[in-house]
Amino acid sequence: MNAKIPFVLGFLFAFVTATANADEYAALRETIEACAGCHGERGASKEDAFPILAGQELYYLYVQMKDFKSGLRKNEIMQPVLADLKKQDLFALAKYFSEQKWPNIGFTGDPERVLNGERAANAGQCVACHLGSYTGNSRVPRLAGQYPNYLAKTMLDMKSKARNNATAISALLSTFSESDISDMAEYMGNM
Amino acid sequence: MRKSLLKRGSALFAFLCGIGVISSAGTVSAEEVKKATLYGNMTVVTQDMLNRAGGDANNFLHTNGNYSQTRYYPASQINTGNVKNLRPAWIFQTEVVESQETTPIVVNGVMYITTSFSHVYALDAATGEQIWHYKHKMGPITTYCCGPNNRGVAVSGDKVFLGTLDAKLVALDAKSGKVVWEKQIADPEKGYSETMAPTAVNGKILIGTNGGEYGVRGFVKAYDAESGKLLWTFYTTAENSVGVWATHDATGRDMLRDIKAEKAALKKLGDPYKTLGGGVWQNPAVDLETNRIYFVAGNPSPDLDGSVRPGDNLYTNSLISVDLDTGKYICHFQYIAHDVWDLDAVSPPIITQVKDKNGKMVKGVLHGGKTGHVYVHRADDCSLIRFSEAMVPQEDMWVLPTKDGQRMLPGANGGVEWSPMTVDAGLGLVYVINLHQPMTYHVESTPYPGGKLWLGGAFKVIPGEEQWGNVSAVDYNTGKIRWKVKTQQPMIGGIMATAGGLVFTGEGNGLFKAYDSKTGNLLWKFQAGAGVNAPPASYTVDGKQYIVVGAGGNVQLNYKRGNNIIAFTLAD
Repeated sequence: MNAKIPFVLGFLFAFVTATANADEYAALRETIEACAGCHGERGASKEDAFPILAGQELYYLYVQMKDFKSGLRKNEIMQPVLADLKKQDLFALAKYFSEQKWPNIGFTGDPERVLNGERAANAGQCVACHLGSYTGNSRVPRLAGQYPNYLAKTMLDMKSKARNNATAISALLSTFSESDISDMAEYMGNM
Repeated sequence: MRKSLLKRGSALFAFLCGIGVISSAGTVSAEEVKKATLYGNMTVVTQDMLNRAGGDANNFLHTNGNYSQTRYYPASQINTGNVKNLRPAWIFQTEVVESQETTPIVVNGVMYITTSFSHVYALDAATGEQIWHYKHKMGPITTYCCGPNNRGVAVSGDKVFLGTLDAKLVALDAKSGKVVWEKQIADPEKGYSETMAPTAVNGKILIGTNGGEYGVRGFVKAYDAESGKLLWTFYTTAENSVGVWATHDATGRDMLRDIKAEKAALKKLGDPYKTLGGGVWQNPAVDLETNRIYFVAGNPSPDLDGSVRPGDNLYTNSLISVDLDTGKYICHFQYIAHDVWDLDAVSPPIITQVKDKNGKMVKGVLHGGKTGHVYVHRADDCSLIRFSEAMVPQEDMWVLPTKDGQRMLPGANGGVEWSPMTVDAGLGLVYVINLHQPMTYHVESTPYPGGKLWLGGAFKVIPGEEQWGNVSAVDYNTGKIRWKVKTQQPMIGGIMATAGGLVFTGEGNGLFKAYDSKTGNLLWKFQAGAGVNAPPASYTVDGKQYIVVGAGGNVQLNYKRGNNIIAFTLAD
């Protein structure tokens, strides 16, 4: 065996270990801290006006940030926050939040409203995209255990086209009454 | 692993010994022995084996049984006389509790099954013991409609082939489950994904694409089985997709198209073929005599809004035939031009001999539509010979979708979905499972959203209206329904006929049933505990015929999820 090989292997091992231990989000720590102002530490929001990001689907988060940045999804706060970030930063941010643990919001819905919400969601075939557990996948967001107030607002915004970056969902929600939308949010928040 | 290989290698010997014993008891016929796999080295799937699959009572080598896709299994050990004694032989639980649409593939005592999220398991088909498990390393971007399903693998040579949710084609080593090669078929960010089982034929792997709900350009592609090299692509949306401005559907009903408005839109927008959809969800039938394949293309994109896609939208909602070696177009037949209801063509076509309009037997192709009709075509030019009586209620066809919603039957989950049909050629019957789920159709025009869901409106189930399904036996030489059995819930999954005079199919409520193929009489049922919404298969090991099916529920109709593969055989 070549005498240099153990040395080279040792160096490579040290390099790989150091790289693995490095903070891959170091360059984004400041941004992540800024996000915590509204969305809570590690994206585990504690206020029902702000959605939980922790444990949300990576690609969904990325697309939303891209849409905020481009103005396709309009939001006076989010647009300037993301304005200077590049696409790879947005992807890294999305990855960071998707790797965090989804918090338990401890919400218990009104049983009658939950039942009606379930009926309404079945009519809309929501599980066909969000899956039976409403935990979403890839570009489809998790809804289970999200704050009902946020869910209701965002669904109503979609219905009214105030939020218009998912046109198929807007079209679907426009067929529901405001009361059914509110009950669907109760149902999903209750999961 | 060595042990399992030895076990596989000795399967033929064991099978032949088994026949000796069981034949003396009179349960396996001499005819069945002739149909068994008595060639090949038992570890490699040869083209000859694939070609003869229709008469092979040992294996189940194709997703739909054979290249003609009849799903007719030639074994009769389990038959009308003894099916009441059918019992579970083993149950295998996968690690994925989600929609289950796989057709088990069985090669000389080894079974390959898939699950949602693109897993593959190799199992000992006699015992259900796991041999290996492949879990696809999914990319972060997947875009799919109607569940993270997978409908199974293809087998050829020493490899197993899988399409994945992130739009890849993967070749695995059949013995170990290790990746041999992997190819990106299309861009998942633009809405492409794979849930269908590939088809292996003559050294090629054929695969279509999902994406009709995302504005993709649909296709069928052929890859070299050894290297993964792309050999040809046939796009299901023609560069000139306008067609003949057809005003009536395949059954002669007026589709209420506003041709004048469409012509004006064409002038303004140009040909929409680049984002026109036309997904190919299911396997092609292969005609080895003529070296042609037959497949169906799904709905145009966006589903409900025709205003942004003027013209007939060729070749969406069509039966299409292309040359197997080159992918060159041969013929097509469009069922619904300029569809705005998503009542598209999804169920895999079947090649069988049929009576033409003059009563002469010709090679034909059958397709079951979401409209609720079975369509019967000539294979040579794709032309329509006849269509069957409607198997589900049809009301107000073809009223146009409106902003506030318009009720029309069938609903978009209607008639024959992706579920494969099965043919008993001796009886001249095709067996079909159907859905009845009333919906309203809503239109809302929006521009192409660049890979996001693009429906051009919404489909909505009508709460309170009864939903149900049925199993229908249709005489394809007359178009008449021979028998029909109503089921508690809309049917999705698949069906299989056997030489034992039986048809097997499952329901969303967990019941797996066997019917008398001549009469529709219910002969046997089993409660699987989760929706049985996968196509059944059959095979024989050591002289015992098995029936196998997945019970994992269905995401599209929200049937109870599970993770079971259940193999049944006759009680001793």
